[in-house]
Amino acid sequence: MRKLLLALVALAAAAIAVPLSIGSSHREAPNISLDPAADNTDTYAWTAKDAPDALTIAANWIPGEVPANGPNFHGFDDRARYYVHIDNSGDGRPDISYRFQFKTQIRNKESFLYAGPGTDSYDKLNVIQRYNLVRETYRYRGKRGVQVKEKTLARGLPVAPPNIGPKTMPNYQAFVEGAIRTLGNGMKVFVGPRDDPFFVDLGATFDALNVRKLTGNEGEGKDDLSGYNVHTTVLQIPERLVTHNRKAVSGPDGDNAVVGVWSTTERKRLQVARAPASKKRSRTHGRWVQVSRLGNPLVNEVVIPLGKKDQFNRTTPDRDAELYGKYVVKPELAAILNALFSIGAPENDRTDIVQALLQGIPDLNQHKGIEGPPAVDTIKLNLGVPPVDIEDRFGVIGGDVAGFPNGRRLGDDVVDIELQVVAGFLKGNKVPLGDGVDRNDVPFLSAFPYLAPPHDGFDSAPSTRIEPGHPPLPAGG
Amino acid sequence: MTLSRPNLVKLLSPVAVFCVLLAALIAVNGGHGLELPGPSRDVARSGDPVRDAQAAVRAAPGSAAAYALLGEAYLTRARETRDPSLYARAERAFDAGLRRDPRELGALIGAATLAGVRHDFRAELRLGLAARRAAPDLTRPYTVVFDAQIELGRYAAAERSVQRLVDLKPSLPAYARASYYRELTGDDGGAIAAMRLAASAGGTAEGIAYVQTLLGDLQLAHGRAAAARDAYREALRALRPYPAALAGLARVDAAGGDLGSAAARLRRSTELLPLTANLTLLADVERTLGRRRAARADLAAARAQHAVLTAGGTLPDAEAVLFEAGHGSPERAVALGRRVWRAAPSVRSADALGWALTRAGRPAAGLRWSHRALAIGSRDRRFSLHGAVAASRVGLGREADRLFAVARRGRAALAPSLARRLP
Repeated sequence: MRKLLLALVALAAAAIAVPLSIGSSHREAPNISLDPAADNTDTYAWTAKDAPDALTIAANWIPGEVPANGPNFHGFDDRARYYVHIDNSGDGRPDISYRFQFKTQIRNKESFLYAGPGTDSYDKLNVIQRYNLVRETYRYRGKRGVQVKEKTLARGLPVAPPNIGPKTMPNYQAFVEGAIRTLGNGMKVFVGPRDDPFFVDLGATFDALNVRKLTGNEGEGKDDLSGYNVHTTVLQIPERLVTHNRKAVSGPDGDNAVVGVWSTTERKRLQVARAPASKKRSRTHGRWVQVSRLGNPLVNEVVIPLGKKDQFNRTTPDRDAELYGKYVVKPELAAILNALFSIGAPENDRTDIVQALLQGIPDLNQHKGIEGPPAVDTIKLNLGVPPVDIEDRFGVIGGDVAGFPNGRRLGDDVVDIELQVVAGFLKGNKVPLGDGVDRNDVPFLSAFPYLAPPHDGFDSAPSTRIEPGHPPLPAGG
Repeated sequence: MTLSRPNLVKLLSPVAVFCVLLAALIAVNGGHGLELPGPSRDVARSGDPVRDAQAAVRAAPGSAAAYALLGEAYLTRARETRDPSLYARAERAFDAGLRRDPRELGALIGAATLAGVRHDFRAELRLGLAARRAAPDLTRPYTVVFDAQIELGRYAAAERSVQRLVDLKPSLPAYARASYYRELTGDDGGAIAAMRLAASAGGTAEGIAYVQTLLGDLQLAHGRAAAARDAYREALRALRPYPAALAGLARVDAAGGDLGSAAARLRRSTELLPLTANLTLLADVERTLGRRRAARADLAAARAQHAVLTAGGTLPDAEAVLFEAGHGSPERAVALGRRVWRAAPSVRSADALGWALTRAGRPAAGLRWSHRALAIGSRDRRFSLHGAVAASRVGLGREADRLFAVARRGRAALAPSLARRLP
């Protein structure tokens, strides 16, 4: 699942809040257990039906935006760097990275308002965030040598504002259209708040211990993320700009067909103590540090143990096998599922999970031309697999090879898929596990930027949608 | 299948517990249900953290993490309701958690936080170090370890902790602490730069409001009233009402000479949150305005707040010493100051004890303690002013002038009664 789980479910991790007591304010200091502005919530990568020759990526940040809470504190951090990475060789190292850097402008500092009534254009917003989009291209020589080329693709593009409500913004769609940009190289980009496309029943937290009978594969789950917004960056990039040979993909068998995608956030290090007057601050002062990353859903939240989460967030996929392989091969969750439900999930030697999530499925989304292949937490998409007209939310285990884990579409039911895979679906142990929520609370768009419009601050009711009941479905749908 | 309770308890090992709770989102169709006495569906996730945590404890009485959750819920409630009597409940919950598993991270950090809230910094450090040992790769334990080290006057160790924190995970908690370390050691520009990073990193509305207010305080101490006002306004843009930012705006008013507006804002701030420091400042402003009766009432309210805290198990700190020195008996303040220093040998405690001694007619001793307060390079206007007054009383004119000059730079941040002491 994702980091939001940790926030919403009162999991053990949520108990470890970080107090922020400075000086004498030990009592008044708030606890900070989350870092939403840097928190990658989900990454999606798929081939869109209306853009079959392009890679479409949605990377989301800032979980749990409650529209009615007011717009002021939901935004990207101007002093952080936001990344979408593409690995076109399969080694878990970025070959092309798209970097977003933001700058917020407040026109009238005296005003507490975000925008006045009847705001219909970017010029009239009191608070506006803009961004530069930079492409970094990497060349590796040997194990350590790396050369980076940077190219600024666009400057000062607007981030769509929050949807404050019909009085302030009678025509919100105009802002959305103003934030959709096509760049000179054929790329399309959108940045702004949208409906959170993730859907999950976080479960009545402590109901785990007396499980609801009617949920699972029969619907009736409560979508805890319904009505919430998230900040998204959507990129649509012509294939030839991302493949290793800079050519379009000829078909699913092309040797350039598979790309790996993930997203990260970086913040600046600083040297705390003043250096002696004779010296400047140390060389590492001001260096960027990765503080969050997200490839496949569920990996950080369920596979990585609590004590390793910070480390996972600052390491890169090429080290995943070495650092975290053991947690995938022997997943805690399988043992828990068995203890709770006696479903016969294999608990050891889970190379099937390693393959499905980290190596890619042979002849589908496994990188060609690399030995191993290495186990890296990236979303691996075969760009040559054509999109299908009717998507199966179970993706590959439902017989729809254009879906998760071959890439990840907005509608793929990754919670159900991953629960069934951990239970042993790929080893023949097909258990119809699920969370009872089958789809998002609002429909996705058939055209760019695909994610549904953000819920407005005037009319929002988070966490209320209940999935209609339906007859039980077998494993894999 | 039915799982017996002892088996379940065994299952709830520290690492497994989050998976177990996570299994909450897993539902299976008929035949695999789990039957256990426990909370009914209505109780589960009521939206009330204390009730949810109580349900967790009932459902898994062997789980240290569940108790940590309960303790955390009580701590949050104590902060929201300003009811320090909830600390005792939080303490019992954390203790129960640590009895079940002495290495439970949530319970260790929660108990450390509680110790810090009660100004028991040695316990905070001990628990924080235990948390760090339990999870050496996590950054969170470093936060409480740093907080305790600062209050215990262990600045070299504190610097290492905060540097590690900011190296491993630059974020609001790391930047804000880096800023505080820089402020204490006299790097005012660096402190403002780090707090700007913290404010930008943001997070929750309250987190933003809190660090923007701290940024405002730094700007004001640096004599930049306009920048301070901007920061306090940013805080209020994130969260309204926010009493600490209101108090900040009041201090900007006072610095600009508008004591009437300052008093009104402080009144509103202390109605929302009766902090002793702000009540004392309000009394100061009102006395300056000639409203003696109101000033007396505010001081009585401040005294009552100190009593409430003490009843909740909070040890007195430097603020209490300064209050006693200024508004009670300087002799008692000296005794209290020595106790505070023993419990928390920090520059803040040294400054408070020094001022108590100076007020009690022993400026030579006071000056020695001021030197300790200023030893790590702090340019704090209050430390400097206290030292300057002591120096001038013992006839060290040049040192007094030098310290007065430092204090004058932060004049805007001084309470009127202190500002009047500037030559």
